[in-house]
Amino acid sequence: MLRALERLALRLLTAIDAVGNRLYGSRFNPLYQSGTIVVVLYLTIVATGLWLILFYRVAAPWESVASLTANLWIGNWVRGLHRYASDLAVVATVVHAFRMFAQGRSWGARTLAWSSGGILLVLLCLCGWTGYVLVWDTFGQSLAREGARILDALPILSEPTSRAFTGERPVPGVFFFVTLFAHIGVPLGMGVVFWLHIKRLERPLLLPPRALMWTTIGLLTGVALVFPLPIAPKADAFVLPAAVPADLFFAFWMPMVRGLDAGLALTCLVAAVAALLIVPVATARRGAARPAPSTVDEDICTGCLQCSLDCPYGAIEMIERTSRRSNLVARVDPALCVSCGICAGSCAPMGVGPPGRTGRDQIAHVQEFLAAPVRRAGEVVAVCCDRGAGAYGPALSAEGAAIYAVDCAGNLHTSVIEMLLRGGSSGVLVLACPPRDCWNREGPRWLVERIYHEREAELQARVDRDRVCVVHATAAEREPALAALRTFAVGLSSLSVPTVDRTADIHAVCEPAGAGGRS
Amino acid sequence: MKSLERAIGMATALLATVGITWTSSVPMSSSPAVALLRLAWTARPERIEDCRPQREEELAKLPAHMRQAVVCTGTTAAYRLEVRRDGAVIADQIVRGGGLRHDRPLYVFRDISLPPGDAAITVRFVRVDAVSEPTASGTAVPADSPRDHRPAAMNDDRRRREDEERIRRQEEAIPSSLSLDRRFHFMAREVILVTYDAERRELVGVERER
Repeated sequence: MLRALERLALRLLTAIDAVGNRLYGSRFNPLYQSGTIVVVLYLTIVATGLWLILFYRVAAPWESVASLTANLWIGNWVRGLHRYASDLAVVATVVHAFRMFAQGRSWGARTLAWSSGGILLVLLCLCGWTGYVLVWDTFGQSLAREGARILDALPILSEPTSRAFTGERPVPGVFFFVTLFAHIGVPLGMGVVFWLHIKRLERPLLLPPRALMWTTIGLLTGVALVFPLPIAPKADAFVLPAAVPADLFFAFWMPMVRGLDAGLALTCLVAAVAALLIVPVATARRGAARPAPSTVDEDICTGCLQCSLDCPYGAIEMIERTSRRSNLVARVDPALCVSCGICAGSCAPMGVGPPGRTGRDQIAHVQEFLAAPVRRAGEVVAVCCDRGAGAYGPALSAEGAAIYAVDCAGNLHTSVIEMLLRGGSSGVLVLACPPRDCWNREGPRWLVERIYHEREAELQARVDRDRVCVVHATAAEREPALAALRTFAVGLSSLSVPTVDRTADIHAVCEPAGAGGRS
Repeated sequence: MKSLERAIGMATALLATVGITWTSSVPMSSSPAVALLRLAWTARPERIEDCRPQREEELAKLPAHMRQAVVCTGTTAAYRLEVRRDGAVIADQIVRGGGLRHDRPLYVFRDISLPPGDAAITVRFVRVDAVSEPTASGTAVPADSPRDHRPAAMNDDRRRREDEERIRRQEEAIPSSLSLDRRFHFMAREVILVTYDAERRELVGVERER
């Protein structure tokens, strides 16, 4: 059931990603940058909040905000930016969570990231709730009363919180003080949870590209200036406003729970949060469906550190050993490994990787591929990422390309490219996912580094780069991928006829110069 | 073609941002054009207790700071809240003290929607449970009791404070019967509050200042 939901979500995500790529290009596609956009918005909210707090008075909450609202230039646009950034932060957080869910990146080693992300969303909503209550207009009062009604379902408070808003007495100043304290304290707590959120990532990207970042802030500032934020009438316990100007990003739940008994409403809210937090358990792959973590062949490992440097999840550490081969040996922590296979592509002597996907397994696979009777001399091989271009492999085949499927482009060992060319292919077109959409975070990045920038496990200098091309394409970008294939094929036609050399000796081809042979 | 797509992208981003501003302030209808009678008060319910004086030997076993001349066990009374509008019952409920053991102050909070216009409102808040009389149950030991009936292990000052505390608790409790009979003019979208005035020890109606 949940798997079917994941598949459906992935189809939807792929379609809207393609639209985003078309409109903004994969580098600036905001859907790929949802996580980093939240960080930018958080910083914007904190900066504007620090300004707003200078003008806020606990003793006269509505009056102080009203006076701020009346000041278009130094007050209201900052308030508008604060509010719209908060709204967009909710949207971006939900998009980010949806992306992770659809791509099946919510379980196993990613459980901590998912759970902390869920907590961050709850804290963000709590921040919004306190922020609106601080204004103490009719909307703030509605939120406060509804929240208090639900909270009072817990029989633990000595006095029901609803009592503060009945009109029996003025709302005490201490209520606004505590709310303000929470409104400041919760974002600080979010910083700690955010640290947990990215704790298991190596080289986490915190900010989007500058152009996207400033465009986002600029657009929000622009609408804050063009559409000045109004303030609703002051809260009055003796008046029932005909309509309350509600922020649906933070009050979407109110119409749903308003008619419910407080206990039932509380149960629904707790169940919603619980459902969010148990996603890692519900979506976890078990048994044969669970990809095995990487393993290290210690006889092959030269202790070069590269797999440890390239692992996007910090799952590989180098430990000391006593054998003569090297002082260090790689050790994979299965609890942190997501089985992305990037280490297999980073290991020149091919001693590490998930079972069946190590460099040596890939060499064996490419030999089978080349030995297939359907191979044609001079054909173009399209290396397709399973999660991307693999979706339209038949269309690429129809254009004359031979399809070589890989789990992730970052998993691809450069020796495979060399062997494909030596096996008679006229060129190798690698169709990788866009860098910000890699399910394994850094696959396309390391692939390009290995092919063009001599990163360890690099494509050997003897390989003609004109016969290799890396293109980024998602599962929905069939036409651009086909166009890239055609262009590449035209470029190859001007090159000489490739020679065939199928004498593939793994050790001779793949061992870096100077490395010791296998003991 | 690319620049056209980028222009469409920028326009889409702009529209999405404007959409955020719109969704950020959507009029949410709060209620139909009715008036509201709000009943809201909190008070300490009367205690239903079984009290007895402690014997000298019982007191002697206790540390000095835990000695009480009279020990009581019991619960708090329940009350019936009944609201009538022009004679017709519009609310009837039993109210108990708060907390899992109902030993916390009771709390009344109820919003009743009414059509705008004049209405005679009657609110009754009457104790349901019988409460034993203090003298019969021994909840208060008379100050002029013979000296030999009072534990010698306690000094007079301690006894006096204990009696005062017991009397204070009785006085703090809500009266066993409260009522309010009043004619109100209910205006659309306005709230009239009926609450308990602890100083006057009676129910009062509070209207919005006009």
